[in-house]
Amino acid sequence: MDFLESLLVGFVGIVVINNFVFTKFLGICPYLGVSGRLDMAFGMGCAVTFVTTLAGGLTWLIDTLFLVPFHLEVTRYVCYILVIAGAVQLVEMYLKKFFPPLYKSFGIFLPLITTNCVILGLCLFLNLWQVDNIVLALVLSFGAGIGFTVAICIMAGIREAMELADIPTCLAGAPIALITAGLLTLAFMGFSGMIR
Amino acid sequence: MSNLKLFFRESWLLLVSSVLFGGLLALTDAAWRPRIQQNEINKFSNLARTLLPAAETFEHLADPIQIPDDKGRPMLVDVRRGLDASGACAGWAFVCEGSGFADKIKLVVCVDAKFEILTGFQVLASNETPGFGDKITIQNGFYQAQYKGAPAERLTLHKAGDSKLIDSEIIAITGATVTSQAVVDILNAYVTPIKEQLRQKGFLQ
Amino acid sequence: MSKENTMTVGQAFIGGVWTEIPVLRLMLGLCPTLAVTTSVKAGLTMGLCVIFVLICSNFVVSSMRHLLKPHLRIMIFTLTIAVFVTIADMYLKAFQPVMSEKLGPYIPLIIVNCIIICRAEACAAQNGLLVSVVDGFAMGLGFTIVLCFLASIREVLATGCITFSPTLVLTILKPVEAGGWFTPWASMLMPIGAFVTLGLMLAAVNQIAGKKS
Repeated sequence: MDFLESLLVGFVGIVVINNFVFTKFLGICPYLGVSGRLDMAFGMGCAVTFVTTLAGGLTWLIDTLFLVPFHLEVTRYVCYILVIAGAVQLVEMYLKKFFPPLYKSFGIFLPLITTNCVILGLCLFLNLWQVDNIVLALVLSFGAGIGFTVAICIMAGIREAMELADIPTCLAGAPIALITAGLLTLAFMGFSGMIR
Repeated sequence: MSNLKLFFRESWLLLVSSVLFGGLLALTDAAWRPRIQQNEINKFSNLARTLLPAAETFEHLADPIQIPDDKGRPMLVDVRRGLDASGACAGWAFVCEGSGFADKIKLVVCVDAKFEILTGFQVLASNETPGFGDKITIQNGFYQAQYKGAPAERLTLHKAGDSKLIDSEIIAITGATVTSQAVVDILNAYVTPIKEQLRQKGFLQ
Repeated sequence: MSKENTMTVGQAFIGGVWTEIPVLRLMLGLCPTLAVTTSVKAGLTMGLCVIFVLICSNFVVSSMRHLLKPHLRIMIFTLTIAVFVTIADMYLKAFQPVMSEKLGPYIPLIIVNCIIICRAEACAAQNGLLVSVVDGFAMGLGFTIVLCFLASIREVLATGCITFSPTLVLTILKPVEAGGWFTPWASMLMPIGAFVTLGLMLAAVNQIAGKKS
């Protein structure tokens, strides 16, 4: 029961309290790039969630079974980035074969997932938080992906509505998106202190 | 066979650069690793030394200290004895942690040689709200100063009062009651059990 | 690789520090920009690390540009960047432990900073050694300037002063606690401060450069 509770706390914590986009500033580039349309944002979020779960689990295994026992921590970053690149390639091939329309709509963004900070950031934070079992690692990875999806979907909804608004020309596009994101972080700060 | 040839023709650069980069990493690692490890060791003693200026070195106890955690399960605590230049006990230092407002708070706490008076705490890691909760990290700020000389017993938190008065009543930081309470709770959870354990194991009279 | 020497040294330098200044014009590398700019010192350290990694990776990529195979290209770029980031991270851990602690995972996150891979692809893979190195330096410098500028706005508004070390503190606005008039804006240290300041900065640059679109 304790174990389940810790999983639940970890999951809720990483989705709303320590949301990667709003508190750790990870994944801002795609957050601003793709969040123009809700359906694309949701697709991107799903792809990221899938890759983070895969990469989080794999890097955790590599770290505990291979890098730490053999004292190869110095190659940690290289290993992580290679695992992530491999996982992204896998997702790309899978989508191309089974969901061609989805593949087409992602266009350039799929290879860009490799350089999405959420994924590498998550792997690094799993290491920093000293997560000591694979189930928790998987739950946290999944939660980080869900947190990213939530953030990017909220943003896309707001930006769809904002297309109709009259924004000063110099603020149009990225600047207003950043300011909106700032206000969202303020809203998400209300969640901190929820779990103690 | 031709497959293998193709493979090498396409990827020889990748293989060669991997080997070269591997060598480069190994070299830097060999050169800097001792320093990095030394830094990690120094980090604890540097923080602890600001609280126990008399202590020269910090040694681990031969018999590890175990106290019950919040669910009653045994938990190991890293308690170290500070030794002064002559080798006498100058005080005790230990690392403790608990949940704060946003994330875990990790503290280094120091107590005098008789384990009766706190000499203060320093923050090892925290992620509290900037401008409010993170005031606990200000070295010698009014919040930290209240612990310097406070009795090593049960502490209580109060919203108002005289923060200059050093006793077991800690005055909260305005706007950061949860964080202030968290630090008090962490100390309460650790100080008394550790004191009992030390006494049982004969480290204290 | 037929497009040899498409840029001159001068173009590369100007490109890096103004016409294509990363963050503001290319919208690349936003994550570290927002995360580490709570203090000028952190921003400066981050910027120097990025300069180091950019110069080294551009140098390596440029020197092997004739040997690159198209489909393994990105792989080699990533590997190169990851290695130099590891070296930078170890240097900080060994010689600047406090800073390393503060920047935490944002140093390894330089690996996925789009600026670096973008420069390897767009510049170093097509240009000679000198131009590539200058481009790396200029891009890194542009990034550092933006980081420091943003960080100085945030740090001054949040604390009233710029702290380089415990002994070297530059007071610009005297806070109330020290007997001045300025009430520090704690929110500048929070995520909101980062987002809004960067948003306004982008707007200002758009205004100055007269966005043509």
